[in-house]
Amino acid sequence: MKRKLIAAIGVAAMTATVAACGSGDDGGSGGSSDSITVWLMDGSAPEPWVEELSAAFEAEHDVEVNVEIQQWDGIQDRVITALSEDGTVDVLEIGNTHTVGYANTGGLADLADFADEPWNAPMLESTRVDDTLYAVPWYGANRVVIYDKGIWEEAGAEVPTTRDEWITALETIQENTDAEPIYLPGQSYYVMGGFVADAGGTFAVEEGDGWAGSLATPEGQAGMEFYAELQAFSNAPTDIDEAEPQQSTDVVPNGNVASWIGLGWEAAGAIAAIEEQGGEADFGYFPVPGETADQLGHVFLGGSNLAVSGRAGNSELANEWLRMATSQEWAQKFVDANNGGVVPNRTDVTASPEPGSFAEAMVASADVGYLPPLTTGWANVETLPNPIKELMTQALNGDDYQSAAEEADAEITERINRE
Amino acid sequence: MRKLWLNGTALVVSVLFIFPVYWMFSTSFKSNSQVLTKDPVFFFTPTFEHYSTATGVELFWTYVANSFVVTVGAVLLALVVALAASFAIARMEFKGRRGMVLAVMMAQMAPWEILIIVVYLNARDAEMLNSLLTLTLIYFVMALPFAIWTLRGFIAAVPKELEESAMIDGCNRAQAFLRVIFPLLAPGLMATSLFGFIAAWNEYAMVLVLNKSPEAATLPLWLTQFQTNFGNDWGATMAASSMFTIPVLIVFVLLQRRVTGGLSAGAVKG
Amino acid sequence: MTVHIEEAPAPPPPVRGAGGQDGDRRPPRRRVPSGLVPYLLLAPAVIAILAVLGYALARNVLISFQEFGRKQLISRTTEWTGIENYRAVLENERFWDSVFRTFVFMAVNVVLIMVLGTLLGLLLNALGKKMRLVLAISLVAAWAMPVIATTTVFRWLFDTQFGVANWLMRTLGFEGYDQHNWFGSGFSTLAIVTVLIVWTSVPFVAINLYAGLTTVSGEIWEAARMDGASAARIFWSILLPIMRPFFMITTFLEIIWVFKAFAQIYAMNGGGPNRESETLPVMAYVEGMGQNQYGMAAAISVLTLVILLVAMSFYFRLILKQEKENS
Repeated sequence: MKRKLIAAIGVAAMTATVAACGSGDDGGSGGSSDSITVWLMDGSAPEPWVEELSAAFEAEHDVEVNVEIQQWDGIQDRVITALSEDGTVDVLEIGNTHTVGYANTGGLADLADFADEPWNAPMLESTRVDDTLYAVPWYGANRVVIYDKGIWEEAGAEVPTTRDEWITALETIQENTDAEPIYLPGQSYYVMGGFVADAGGTFAVEEGDGWAGSLATPEGQAGMEFYAELQAFSNAPTDIDEAEPQQSTDVVPNGNVASWIGLGWEAAGAIAAIEEQGGEADFGYFPVPGETADQLGHVFLGGSNLAVSGRAGNSELANEWLRMATSQEWAQKFVDANNGGVVPNRTDVTASPEPGSFAEAMVASADVGYLPPLTTGWANVETLPNPIKELMTQALNGDDYQSAAEEADAEITERINRE
Repeated sequence: MRKLWLNGTALVVSVLFIFPVYWMFSTSFKSNSQVLTKDPVFFFTPTFEHYSTATGVELFWTYVANSFVVTVGAVLLALVVALAASFAIARMEFKGRRGMVLAVMMAQMAPWEILIIVVYLNARDAEMLNSLLTLTLIYFVMALPFAIWTLRGFIAAVPKELEESAMIDGCNRAQAFLRVIFPLLAPGLMATSLFGFIAAWNEYAMVLVLNKSPEAATLPLWLTQFQTNFGNDWGATMAASSMFTIPVLIVFVLLQRRVTGGLSAGAVKG
Repeated sequence: MTVHIEEAPAPPPPVRGAGGQDGDRRPPRRRVPSGLVPYLLLAPAVIAILAVLGYALARNVLISFQEFGRKQLISRTTEWTGIENYRAVLENERFWDSVFRTFVFMAVNVVLIMVLGTLLGLLLNALGKKMRLVLAISLVAAWAMPVIATTTVFRWLFDTQFGVANWLMRTLGFEGYDQHNWFGSGFSTLAIVTVLIVWTSVPFVAINLYAGLTTVSGEIWEAARMDGASAARIFWSILLPIMRPFFMITTFLEIIWVFKAFAQIYAMNGGGPNRESETLPVMAYVEGMGQNQYGMAAAISVLTLVILLVAMSFYFRLILKQEKENS
């Protein structure tokens, strides 16, 4: 009865809805056979690359490509619901740590046809579930240490190649200048994860059929201890992360910061903000040092994959678009359009960063990248309140690490095993 | 002396209430480097750059149009439907009247924030996604209980004799309502409109999942897009928020004049 | 120019002026049986509420008995789990902590809102025209500011490194506010959220009360003052009884709104630190929606509604009693 009612109102809606709605006669912008809809995240792809690619694809297939740039706010809800709709989206960008979760929902198409391309092996890990390929790598990015050359020179500090040298350099800056030796907020958990990985640990381990948090371990504690050692050089609060206030555009340009740990776009953002103030950024970059000089520190291998919706309006065209966008030619163009500032998705694409650039430092440590557990539930762990962040704040505020970590592990275990 | 006290208090309270609003407006004119500083910046050369960033967004005018269509549509629907319902509740005897009163109160308690996913599922299964009409209907129902509740009180407060005398003069019941009661409801209609307007104008979570087609999006989605994973454009966020607030203030100023007119008719005072 | 934005949801019953109708009682307010007409008048409202809200609530109850996550949402499958979701929620200590916290938080907020709102409403009534307009516009501006902007601005004002609050404390010469963390504990986080919620809610009460007061006949004030009644006495023995319906309904609305407040609390500190500022709606979000456990979220929302209904039942009875008296 009520269903009929809804249906009746639905019919009224169809007839009464004016042209303002995108769902005209083809039942959704991506639903028709002569167009496909691609969702890319805000800030991911350089605009010229997107436009050039769309034009080339449209010329070759005589179809329309709607690239819809998605905002980050509320993106999870939008992707989940979009994957449940027929024809809303054909190809979409998904963060590498979230891909497995979406694959397990049955919402992504099997991309077996793409298996034989020369993908970057570490990046490929995040795209597969039990040998089935649900996405293809698009680009990667990782953090490096960004430092203010002027301050380091003034202090007489040297670019470090080991952790000990790093600490020494920070001490030198603290003694010889007024600058904050390093800006490191208390909850930058992907940085901490790198230190845990250096010690051979990880956020969670497989246990039986499921996963269990593994921070209440000697490895976890070692990682946290080194993080605390660095954090002691920073004036940053212990209960915030690097995004709020945004370290690159809000903190670094307004403070006297000698160094910080960030991504390529953050470095670019900081430079732009400093120039807007009429200053000039003089940044140098080095990879996060490891315990010894022959081993760089582990860094979180962030990045994005591209996937095809299982309910795509036109999966054949979607596959074609994906093939073109990730082909050697267009992947190379993508890397070039980013000035080499991304880790390429294919082995036959080369990033040739300029000496002394961010990209050079980044590519150097791309090989010691680590990924968080690739499970459906990992996204749950990262939902605010994130137990890892809570643990970090507690540890930095002097609480007993072991008991706080046991609590965090319990929460991680509970969340990571939820589908 | 008393007057001084009153005005002094009013001034302090006004400053307290306006300060965050002032901060929003003033931030929208600051350059990005002046937004977050150790010592707050009070004096600066204003820049209009953020306003052009905010309005320069693709499809901006579509969002504006959609927001107005949806908000005005929902408010008008709520007024008409609530007027009929509240008249029945306030003025007529029928079986189930008290049940209706209770139902309206409970509808007012609806946890819309949590119902988003089921509302979405219902709309999806009825193939009503990406439709401005769906949004209008939802916002209309959000505003409806409050509207019925408010108007019922106003109708009940109109002396029955007024209506009866009109009917003696040869009006039928509908005419009596339109000519006698309706004009006296102005304050209630305005209250309902403002409430419905603010609720629909600000709604974000529903439109986020219901209308994924950019052509069917509304202004709240535009408002959040200056905060991204790649840093927040605070100036643009505040410029957008300021522009977003202004229609509500205009609606308020327009409404309050009408309300004064309605009240000065005086009949409410019996 | 006087300012009325928003009338009292239930304005006071008409107050008869001195020149009443020969002291006669009015004919009793009997409603005429009107056959089908009332049902026809109610039909659009009932149909709309049932189709949009009723249907959603019903489906919400169904989902609360299902394992319903993104997998089920995307693949459009149904997995019944019986009362599993309810069991999980009721066994979760955090749920009961949140219930307790929510009630305390709500009580504090509603009392503050009603007291401050009443005082400001009276102040509006007592002011001269110009000052009244200034105050009314400040109040409406606060009310109209979008949530995303209010929460952002409040976060800035109380930011550890760049906050105006810390700057103000430093400037006023207080020690220890160089890097004071206002969100360091659940208590102080909720205190700031309280400031925010009171700030956004007081205008509604104040402006409504003022609008209601304008319908009170001026002669009553005169008469009371002639009798030499004090301001407090006028309030307690004249205004309060007249405005009783207003206070009842406004308190009811504020209780519901504060109880449901989510965005302000979550945006401030995500329910932290350490989940110490987690109220029921925040908990429902964190355990449910945020992790795409829609079945769990539905169960929490059903329980929340039940708790709210029980807590408000005395209120319903009051209102229904009033209905009876009126009919």
